[in-house]
Formats: sequence, C-alpha cells, structure tokens
Amino acid sequence: MYAATLIRQFREKGERVVLEKEAKEILEAAGIPTTRCHVVDSIAQACRTAETIGFPVVLKLSSPQLLHKSEAGGVALNLGTPQEVAAAFARLAARGREHDPAARLLLQQMAPPGVELIAGTATDPHFGTVLMLGTGGIYAELLQDAVFRLPPLGSAEVGEMITALRGYPLLNGYRGSEKADMAALQDTLLRLSELVCGNPEIRELDINPLVVYPRGVLALDARLLLQ
Amino acid sequence: MTGCNSDNVAAAAKLRSIFYPRSVALLGASDDPKRVGYNIFNSLTGGGFTGSIYPVHPRLQTVLGYRVYPSLAALPEQVDLAVIALNERATIAAIEECAAGGVRGAVCIAGGYRETNDAGSGLEAELLATARRCGVSFIGPNTLGFINNDNGLNTTFYPMQLPRGNVSFISQSGGMGLDFICRAVDAELGLNKWIGAGNRSDFEFADYLAFLGEDEGTGVIGLYLEGTEQAARMVRIAGNLAKPVVVYKAGRSGAADFAALTHTGSMAGSHSVYRDIFQQFGVYAVESMSELVTAVKALSLAPLPRGKRIGLMTHTAGPSIVAADVLLERGCVLPPLTPRTLAKVRELTGPNPPFALKNPLDVAGMGFMVDVYGQYLELLAADPNVDLVLAFFCHNTNPHWPFPSSELVRVRQQSGKPVVACYISRAAHLPAERAILEGGGVPLYAFPEEAAQAALALVWWAGRKSAMVKGSEGKEVTA
Repeated sequence: MYAATLIRQFREKGERVVLEKEAKEILEAAGIPTTRCHVVDSIAQACRTAETIGFPVVLKLSSPQLLHKSEAGGVALNLGTPQEVAAAFARLAARGREHDPAARLLLQQMAPPGVELIAGTATDPHFGTVLMLGTGGIYAELLQDAVFRLPPLGSAEVGEMITALRGYPLLNGYRGSEKADMAALQDTLLRLSELVCGNPEIRELDINPLVVYPRGVLALDARLLLQ
Repeated sequence: MTGCNSDNVAAAAKLRSIFYPRSVALLGASDDPKRVGYNIFNSLTGGGFTGSIYPVHPRLQTVLGYRVYPSLAALPEQVDLAVIALNERATIAAIEECAAGGVRGAVCIAGGYRETNDAGSGLEAELLATARRCGVSFIGPNTLGFINNDNGLNTTFYPMQLPRGNVSFISQSGGMGLDFICRAVDAELGLNKWIGAGNRSDFEFADYLAFLGEDEGTGVIGLYLEGTEQAARMVRIAGNLAKPVVVYKAGRSGAADFAALTHTGSMAGSHSVYRDIFQQFGVYAVESMSELVTAVKALSLAPLPRGKRIGLMTHTAGPSIVAADVLLERGCVLPPLTPRTLAKVRELTGPNPPFALKNPLDVAGMGFMVDVYGQYLELLAADPNVDLVLAFFCHNTNPHWPFPSSELVRVRQQSGKPVVACYISRAAHLPAERAILEGGGVPLYAFPEEAAQAALALVWWAGRKSAMVKGSEGKEVTA
C-alpha cells in the first residue's frame, strides 16, 4: 500500500511530525482528495506555479516550529493576481526567517467555500486509536461538537457517526443550501478508518478543515504525528 | 478481534470455578470482631453457602465455633477457592501455598499495590507473575471480593443478605459497589452476582463481562466504571452480549477540553470518548447510580415494548409533565390515542367528561377509585398506538382510596405490554405495594423522573435487541 510506504519512509528518517505537504500525499495515497501543495522557492516560481494551477491561490508557511500557521500569520488566502502572490511571498518568507530558517513556502489552489468539518484520529490512553469527526470553521471551539468512534468502522457506522454530529443539519441542506455529498464524506471516513487500522504507527492525524461540497470533499490542511 | 475469543472463554471458565467452588478456605481468619478476617468469615458462613468452609490461621483454635486449621496443607480436603485476607506481602506467599495445595482460584483482599506507589506497582507485578507461574487465578487485589447470591457465597467483609434476582453488578470501586448494594436492597432489586474488580491484575472488566454474559443466573448487567486501559476490549465484548449492559461511568470533570481533544494526543480517556464509543457498541450509559438501579430494575422485571410510544396514565397532571420532559428529550413519543380508544373512554366517563380525552390520560378525581383507575388503564394499554404504559398514582391515606397495584398487574398481564408504576407516596407505604407490583412484573418507582428513566431503558433495550437480530440476519461485517 502506497500510504504505508510513505509512512515507512518517514519513520526510517526518524521523523515524527509529518507536515502539510507530505501529510496530504499520504491522504491522497489513501484515496482522500486534498488541495495539493507545491513547494515554491522564489517569487518567480510562485507566480509561475500559480498560473499553472490557476488563481486564486493560497500561500502557506510550513515549518515544524510553526504548527498553528494561521495564528502565527503564516497563511495568505485568496491571492488573485501575480502581484498579490509576490507580496504575500515576501511577507511570509520574512516571517519564516524569524521563526525557522528551514521553513518552506507552499502554494496550493484556493478551495471554494463548503461545509467545514474537522476529521482525524488520535490515540486515546484507554481505547487506543479512535476516529474523530467534528464541526469545523471559525466557531469550532465554541461549539465543541465532536463525535468519537472506535475503528474499524463499516459504512453503517460512519453514516451514523455523521448524523450524530450536532452540526449535521449543516450538511443536510440547512436553510435552503444544497445538500453536502454524504457518500463522499462516508467514503472519506471509511478510508481514514482503513488508513489508521492498517498503519498503527499513526499516533495522530488531523484534517482541519475537511470541506464537504455538494459534490465531493477536499482536505485543505492536514498533519500527522507518528509514534 | 477473533483472537480474543478463546481468551474470553478461558477467563469465563476460570471465573465460573471461582464463583461456584465446592469448598472455601479463608487465609487470615480472625476471632476479633474488629478485624477484617473475622468479618469475612462471618460473611462466608452467614450467606447460606452449603459447601465446606475452613478458617486458616497458624495459632487460633476456633472462630465462630468452626475449627481453625494452621495451614492450607492441614485441611482435610483440597479446596477450590482461597479467600486471602493477609497483608500485601503475605498474600504473594499465600498464592504459592494455594498452588502447592492444588487451589486454583483466589480472592486477594489486601490493598497496598499499584493504587499506592511505584513500590506497590512492583509488588502487584510480583503477585501477578507468581500467580501466573503457579497457575492460580485471582480476583483483586485491593477489593472487597465478590458475592454470589446464587449459591450464598459472600467473600466480602460486609456480612449481608440480599434479595435474589437476575441482576449482576461489576464495580471498579468498593465504595460505589456498596452504594449500589444499599440502593438495590432499599429498592428490593433482585441480585445475582456482585463483583468488586479491585485492581484488575488478573481479570479485566472484559473478562467479568464475558463471564456474566455466559452466566445462567444473570439476565441484566450493571457496571460502575472509572476507566480502564482495556476499554476497547471491554466495549467489544459488552456490545456482543445478548444481555443488556448498563454503565455508570464516573469522571466527567476529568474531560479534556475541546482543543486537547481535537489537536493533541493528550486525550486522557476522556468522558466524551467513552460516551460516544458506548453508544457505538450499544452499551447503555447512565448519569448516576440512581439511574443505574432504576434501569437495571426495569430490565430485570418488565417485558420489552415493541416501540417507543408511551401512554401516560395519571390523575394529576404534574408527574406526567415531568416524565414527559425526560421521555421526549431522549427520543420517546407520546402518541395520540386512536378514535376507538377515545370513544371507549367517553363511553366509560359519560357525557361532559370532567377531563381532556388525550394522552397523557389524566382522569382527575375519578382516578382515586381503584376499579375506575383500572378500567381507564386497560383502555390505554389496549390502544394499538401505545407500546408501554407509565402509570402514576398519588397516594392518600384514606383507606377508601387504596393503591391500584392489583389493577396495574392485571392490565400488564392482560395487555402483554410493559407497565411501569410511579407512586407519589411516603416511602413507608411502598414495600407492600412493591411486593404486589414487582411480583407481577410491574417495576415501581417513587419519582416521575425515575419512572421515565425506567421506560427509556426498556425502549433502548427493545430497540437494541431488534437491531441485533437484524444485524445477524443480513450482517455487514464491521469488526
């Protein structure tokens, strides 16, 4: 399995924290769609890459010293022109030098808005690996809406996990919005369940946010912690 | 998880021989009523256990009229179970003595092990290693022991007589285990087995659940839990049992905050993880010991409803409103009565009924007449929209207005539907009514919230059972 190979490579390098770019590669290998990251070393390369993947784009600072990128001012969203990309690059590169000279800049497609969830796994001291699904977005911490399950999960169980969320109505066409793609969300949770059951060296996996659309889902940010 | 099945079967068999020995020895017997060793012997001899009981002590001659033996080796026969009431060091030596004497099962009462400090943890590891090497299985250490109310064997230092029934209980704590017993005795709840799991060196909650799952005398299982590192194995076993498992999990305040739950690996066996995974595996989690006793009593006595539609019968509105709050909050339904039922109620009442014809059926003053109460109750229970009847009665000491207990039992039997009783009354009046009601399969409660919780437990287990049947028919394999 490709995800397992990637994880093994990390372990062999002795690395425990898997940052966004590589975490998304592992998720893609497990069949979970993401906004892929491109490492950019210069303003020129950043602008070229943005032209290739299409505007608008997002630029992020990536460093193990900087796990909460947004709070640290390490994320520039919705960059619509090469000028905006260039300005953001200069700003983030400077910020990166303050925190970690080895920090990288990652460019990715700016995803359209959808229903934001948090999905992931953690190691509970009593249950071992558990799967988590929560309501995401800016009010996530206020709402504290999360559901935990013990994997492996079957399709009936992931369906029930989704409807157990207090925020489930947001997925089910709240106030006339289009219904979210439940099949794609279920599929993502099943794949997460398989991924962690097949790779017990995953200690923690965070997808935040996982955005659910009327058609499909996208992991916009992710991180793994290995044993 | 199939790899665990043979372990579960083996553990259940070992526990069975511990709970059903032919003979028992007490190591550390005492003739001093202020000592644990005396009280355990009092429990062993006072509970009706018919096998041989041998007190063991190096110097004593007699305890409570029984001849005392100086050692296990000096007993006239090989015993099946040793209750070890010695200190934490001597307990380890006693396990060796058990093995030498062919004793395969033990209860280790002493504390002073991993619940104390690192030295205690080391001692407990030594105890377990010794027992495993010698082939002795043991409950504890740091426990009250167990009570088997089926054969009258009580190894705790609390001598007591308990009502008999099909409810068994596992406790992580001696104190909360006693809390359960006191409530159970006061509520006349019939018990089968009581287990103080103690430090769970040799047997885990999962093992006790596997044992009780196979135990013929046990129909309903209660569990008081603080937490266990083997939680995954525990819920997988609990979820596969064909018996209801009701858990009171303490430790809400220890719940980690949301940031810790979602962003770090420091989820300390949090309460919400337990709550969610209990739900996933069909374990019924309650919020207090009172609710646990309420739930297991209903599951022990009443037949199961076909659905979650509750008919409320009362002659005073308040209790039915309080109960409805609890019921509706947790997914039950108060169905409308059928036109046919309403017509019969009208016919029974006469023209211009002095109360509203609906569910809750509040018959006001007419409810004080026992036979009239019974007639209305019968109509309510016969309604095809109603799966379970909750009947309220506010007691008056006027002897012309007696409790309608015999009517409740009659309706329960004729309708085939579960009836739950709630009597608003001084506690002193309840035991006589309880005997009538509960003997007839109608659990009795003194508070409307409790009666509603009892209905919830019955509705839950009925739903879970039918889901298990469906699951085994067209089963999608998930674990």
